[in-house]
Amino acid sequence: MSASGPNPPGTPQVKSLNCPGCGAAITLRSFSQAVTVVCDHCHSILDAQDPRLAILQKFQAAVDEDPPLIPLGTRGTIRGAAYEVVGFQRRTIHVDGVPYSWHEYVLFNPYKGFRYLTEYNGHWNDTSILRSLPTVNDNVSPATVTYLGETYKLFQTTKAGTSFVLGEFPWQVRVGEAADVSDYISPPRVISSERTGKEITWSMGEYIAGRDIWKAFSLQGNPPEAVGVYENQPSPLSADTTALWLAFVGFLVALVVMFIAFESFARNEQVIQGFYSFNTSVRGEASFVTDVFPLRGHTSDLELTTTSDVNNNWIYLSYALINQDTGQAYDFGREVSYYHGYDSDGSWTEGGHTDSVAIPSVPPGNYYLRVEPESDFGHGTISYSISAKRDVPQASFFGIALLALLVPAGLITWRSMNFEHLRWAESDYAPAGSDDDDSGGANRPISLGNLFGKGSDS
Amino acid sequence: MIRNLYVLYGIIVLGTLATAEYRGWSLNSVDEVKNVPRSVRDNPGSYRSVYGYYHHYTGGK
Repeated sequence: MSASGPNPPGTPQVKSLNCPGCGAAITLRSFSQAVTVVCDHCHSILDAQDPRLAILQKFQAAVDEDPPLIPLGTRGTIRGAAYEVVGFQRRTIHVDGVPYSWHEYVLFNPYKGFRYLTEYNGHWNDTSILRSLPTVNDNVSPATVTYLGETYKLFQTTKAGTSFVLGEFPWQVRVGEAADVSDYISPPRVISSERTGKEITWSMGEYIAGRDIWKAFSLQGNPPEAVGVYENQPSPLSADTTALWLAFVGFLVALVVMFIAFESFARNEQVIQGFYSFNTSVRGEASFVTDVFPLRGHTSDLELTTTSDVNNNWIYLSYALINQDTGQAYDFGREVSYYHGYDSDGSWTEGGHTDSVAIPSVPPGNYYLRVEPESDFGHGTISYSISAKRDVPQASFFGIALLALLVPAGLITWRSMNFEHLRWAESDYAPAGSDDDDSGGANRPISLGNLFGKGSDS
Repeated sequence: MIRNLYVLYGIIVLGTLATAEYRGWSLNSVDEVKNVPRSVRDNPGSYRSVYGYYHHYTGGK
């Protein structure tokens, strides 16, 4: 869509007549193509095919009760063609006694004919009459129609009545006339059938943003805010969920390959191992240092494991990994404790004999460990061992990465499913457990597809 | 659009993972101390660790 431009060459001028009911001037914009025209002064529906404009129907309505958002006579460009708004009607359905209304605008181009815009709660559709019949399949639930290779699911069927008309129409419009309307959706498109008597009119609508309508018709201000989820409103996410999970599978494969690669190529080099004992009955300085050991290769972690034979006891070791050359130290403390017993619940254990810690990003160099054991006084001698390995892959990061990849994909899928749930909650085929009333009447995405009665495109 | 963003995000996640594994990042925290005197090797008791003098809870079950 684009802003309106000059009229196409040869565009005929509008024709002015007078209403036989009130004498007010009647403007015919679609010329001989209009079947009925409505006097906006006395609300007489006139026969536009009759040179005398015979009155077909009069109805009571206040024009300002529901004025069109796009004034009649406004011109804009849709799909590269200039159109003029020539007609406006309000359609209404009743659900549990509550009326729900939407608006339909009749657009006319002398070369292209008629097309329509529908609006409900800020949701717009660009609609035109189908030129061939879709294939209906009633043997499935919900029923489907197939058109140009695309399958549309039945969303709802309802009886819609015309409650207000203004301007020109390419069919014999009447206020109060009703039709059975069925909407089949395949977002962003909707195919609607409108049955009046034995006649069925099929039309197709495509969801369009209000701001695009405003731009196309150069309208002032902003379009009304779209409320709720409309029947054929495209989900901002659903089209992407399959591709998203395919990407996730790709990342999962990459993750496994990376895990195998890091496990295979990591140095995993034991750099120190020592066996020690700590006499808890002796007071005094217990700290000591190990021999110097080299850490080679690039900056990587150092996994230090402490193992002790503690039995209903604990040992705490203050560690300092000190670079002999630079004086840089990594200070940390680890505890090994193990308790066990038996009570009314049976046997129990707490803690363990081994503790491991990964010291992050240790540059290469010559290091030694300063170790200071602590425990309760007077519990005898505790034996323990210390071993350290250089460049050990951390499996926890793979778990975190897996979670980091899974969570957004899951959230987006959940949001997409929620969008579809909200869409279908208002249909005749709402999922079990959904409640129409939950979303409020204002959000009910009633049929607005394309209820243009007997009108047909040129 | 969402897929492209997700792919970009996934590449960043895997890139960060590869960096973390290669550079030896860890979830464990340690305190870094600068300029530890060489005399510590000869006199380990002269070093005062911030993790020293641990008060252990011995409650058990």
